[in-house]
Amino acid sequence: MRVWEKSLQLIFILLLLLWLVACQNSEESGSSEDNQTNEESTEANGSSSDESDSVTLTVFDSDTNPDWVEDMDTPVGRKIKEDTGVTLDAEFDIEGGETKIPLMTASGDYPDLIVSKGAGQLVDAEALVDLAPLIEEHAPNIKEMLGEDGINRLKWSEDDPSIYVLTTSPVDDQAMTPGYGAWIQHAVVKELEYPEIKTLDDLKNVIKEYKELYPEFDGQPTIGLTMNTDSWRIQSSFLNSGFMMTGASDDGEYYVDPETYEATLHYRRPAEKEVFQWWNEMNAEGLVDSEMFVQKSDQFDSKLSSGRVLATIGPDYLMYNAQEALRENGMEERMYGVYPVTLNEEYKNHTYQSNGLQVGWGISITEDCEDPVRAIKFLDYLASEETQIMLNWGIEGEHHEIVDGKRVIPEEEWEKRNSDQDYLKKTGIGYNFARFAPRYGDGVLDSSGQPFTTNTRELAIANQTNIEKEVLEAYGVELWQDLFPLADEFPVKPWGAAYNISIPANSELQTHNQRALDITKQLVPKAILENPNQFDAVWDEFMTSLENANIEKAEEEYTKLIQEKVELWSK
Amino acid sequence: MDVAEKKQVRKLKKSSLLWKTFKSQKMLYAMSLPFVAWVFVFNYLPVWGWTMAFQNYIPGNPFWQQEWVGFYHFIQLFQDERFFLALRNTLAMSFLGLLFGFTIPIVFAILLNEVRHSLFKRVTQTITYLPHFVSWVVVAGIVTKMLSTDGGIINDLLVGMGILDQPYQFMAEGKWFWSIVTISDIWKEMGWNAIIFLAAIAGLDPQLYEAAKVDGASRFRQIWHITLPGIRPTILVVLILNIGHLIQIGFEKQMLLSNSLVMEYAEVLELYALNYGIGLGQFSYGTAIGIFNSVVSIFLLLLANGIFKRYSNQSVM
Repeated sequence: MRVWEKSLQLIFILLLLLWLVACQNSEESGSSEDNQTNEESTEANGSSSDESDSVTLTVFDSDTNPDWVEDMDTPVGRKIKEDTGVTLDAEFDIEGGETKIPLMTASGDYPDLIVSKGAGQLVDAEALVDLAPLIEEHAPNIKEMLGEDGINRLKWSEDDPSIYVLTTSPVDDQAMTPGYGAWIQHAVVKELEYPEIKTLDDLKNVIKEYKELYPEFDGQPTIGLTMNTDSWRIQSSFLNSGFMMTGASDDGEYYVDPETYEATLHYRRPAEKEVFQWWNEMNAEGLVDSEMFVQKSDQFDSKLSSGRVLATIGPDYLMYNAQEALRENGMEERMYGVYPVTLNEEYKNHTYQSNGLQVGWGISITEDCEDPVRAIKFLDYLASEETQIMLNWGIEGEHHEIVDGKRVIPEEEWEKRNSDQDYLKKTGIGYNFARFAPRYGDGVLDSSGQPFTTNTRELAIANQTNIEKEVLEAYGVELWQDLFPLADEFPVKPWGAAYNISIPANSELQTHNQRALDITKQLVPKAILENPNQFDAVWDEFMTSLENANIEKAEEEYTKLIQEKVELWSK
Repeated sequence: MDVAEKKQVRKLKKSSLLWKTFKSQKMLYAMSLPFVAWVFVFNYLPVWGWTMAFQNYIPGNPFWQQEWVGFYHFIQLFQDERFFLALRNTLAMSFLGLLFGFTIPIVFAILLNEVRHSLFKRVTQTITYLPHFVSWVVVAGIVTKMLSTDGGIINDLLVGMGILDQPYQFMAEGKWFWSIVTISDIWKEMGWNAIIFLAAIAGLDPQLYEAAKVDGASRFRQIWHITLPGIRPTILVVLILNIGHLIQIGFEKQMLLSNSLVMEYAEVLELYALNYGIGLGQFSYGTAIGIFNSVVSIFLLLLANGIFKRYSNQSVM
């Protein structure tokens, strides 16, 4: 009996082991096949390109990328590999590189390429290669795209005119979708017969009226207004509402006076107090989601996707997930339109004010990169006209066709693009690779006079849902963009965007900023959730805490940085 | 002359004895060598990095080019009120953790030991230690969902039973944060921490129980006079080690469960070191915090060890 049991156990274990081995084998054989086809394809290409020997570049990117496919195994990815012989081994971060990049500098081990949001630390650690000579010699496409002025802007500082960071921002971008605004469900404005929505009070009334009409949606209570305030997003959605509603454009935590270039922590502007007071009232009247400051990003997405959130305020990129999910679920009347709301009609919405070429955030080649020339050539390849077209439109014959010399995306392909959440992952189109190099923005035309991006006016219109068209028509415009004051109404900001200016690592300013941000993140939400009669008290506490945290000194130093930058760039 | 000679002889004897034991146990020494090397490389070599705390460390520069600043970073640290806030939160949460996170597994282990039905016992044990393997990211998600005012099960229950009029926002109140962290920590680690006590109980001599039964001891008496004294050494060792870790409570749970509203109660020392040290590239400052942590830990450990040595003749060292 015992023996029998034992042998049974043994057999079982053996089977398990066999199964494991078998699994491994099949994986191995699978991947070896892949290798073969890869080799063949590179061989086939070997004759056409002189860089046929394939190389793997490691890259660290500070932003997440759910669409990345390992080994670049997508149609676009394979084409890039074929053309350049470069395979990217990418790592994407979820918190903007805030921890990982310092750890890299501490250990001294760098990937070949780093996409950072401010490279101060890396430059101080002498981790980055000066790109200026490389661009001059090996990157005609980048030079063409950025122009002399653009390249000039890339210079690090007065004392060190090297180029460490190649911007990955769009060039000459006139975004088709507004970058920031109040997002309201189409069903809400339709129900209320398209009221005028220009000020925060308009917005409040709309939400209030509709919520009274329909206190429940799908059996769950309707939420008036919520926001994505998970970690850094609290800055880009909630805290930014301060200046976005009062006629300024996004400069991070500081407001920069356009005449004197003086920086003020933006909450210290008297006008902004009124904005936050509005939030406080909204909360007191029960129009704001009680979980607004508590929820995580995924909770925000799922709430919006359920269709019961009437409105939200924030940047466009926090809306994509929900908008796509709503569209996929056929809840088109619950998708959001974006409105240029301000505190009152005195203020103009500055969403479209141009920063000029955005520099500071971007890609760098590190000292650990064995072949910087190869790397810059790869980046230059990404910036070339053909690649730029491919990154936006996909591969000819597969994702778009050329009809009468014009690029056209067939109907069914559009359908996939719009409704398939995994479209970018399956094709490799879009931000997947565009994020690694400078790129042409919306509205820029290629040498044949066609736009580089697929966000053309016509396509944007063709792409609208029926109800969206209805709403836009009722407001007398064709696109959401048309509701906003556009870039030509504002001067280009000569300091770029203040949040792009890198602050020297280890400086007092950095500590002061962090302290101010800590205070802000804690006290502003607190002020919103207080009783309205307590709001002033908390706001005063906020102001004095900031002063105690030496904010005036920080403002002075920040002003200096901005003035230096303006001087450097105006040369 | 006699005395000196005797001493000499004893010394010789002693050293030759040492050598003898060493010789006879040389295989054992050889086997422990890799672990000694491991401890040396991972626990002692990094102490060299402490020099950073006394410099204005700039990564990438060679050691001799760093600027020495003495105790500057420590002075900065002790002048920062935020540091004391973080210290308060750390100590508060670790004391709560020690109080409940330590006693509850013992109670649980004893109760489980008293269960007669062996299948039930095993199933319960497995179920309770499974959460140990769940990452804090997931646990934080579950906790946030459960406490949500928007259909969270806790609020639904409380409202349904009439205890609350309307859902209560637990996650937005700083005063609840410590309890939430402690309770979720207990949920996650109770079963796992009970294992060592269960093992200790299993090692007790059944004859003791039989004798007690013959003497007419009730179940409760048996626990009190046999089980508890039996596992006392285990309890003390675990307690001393836990006290040594008081100040190093990690930061995952605080980071994942917190939000901007409760930061005042959620920022622990390691989170503070992360934000103001590594996050801002102030490696020296971060190191100073690390040194402070280590020194306090060693002090606490020695203190606990000393106290137990004096009162119970039990110690880990």
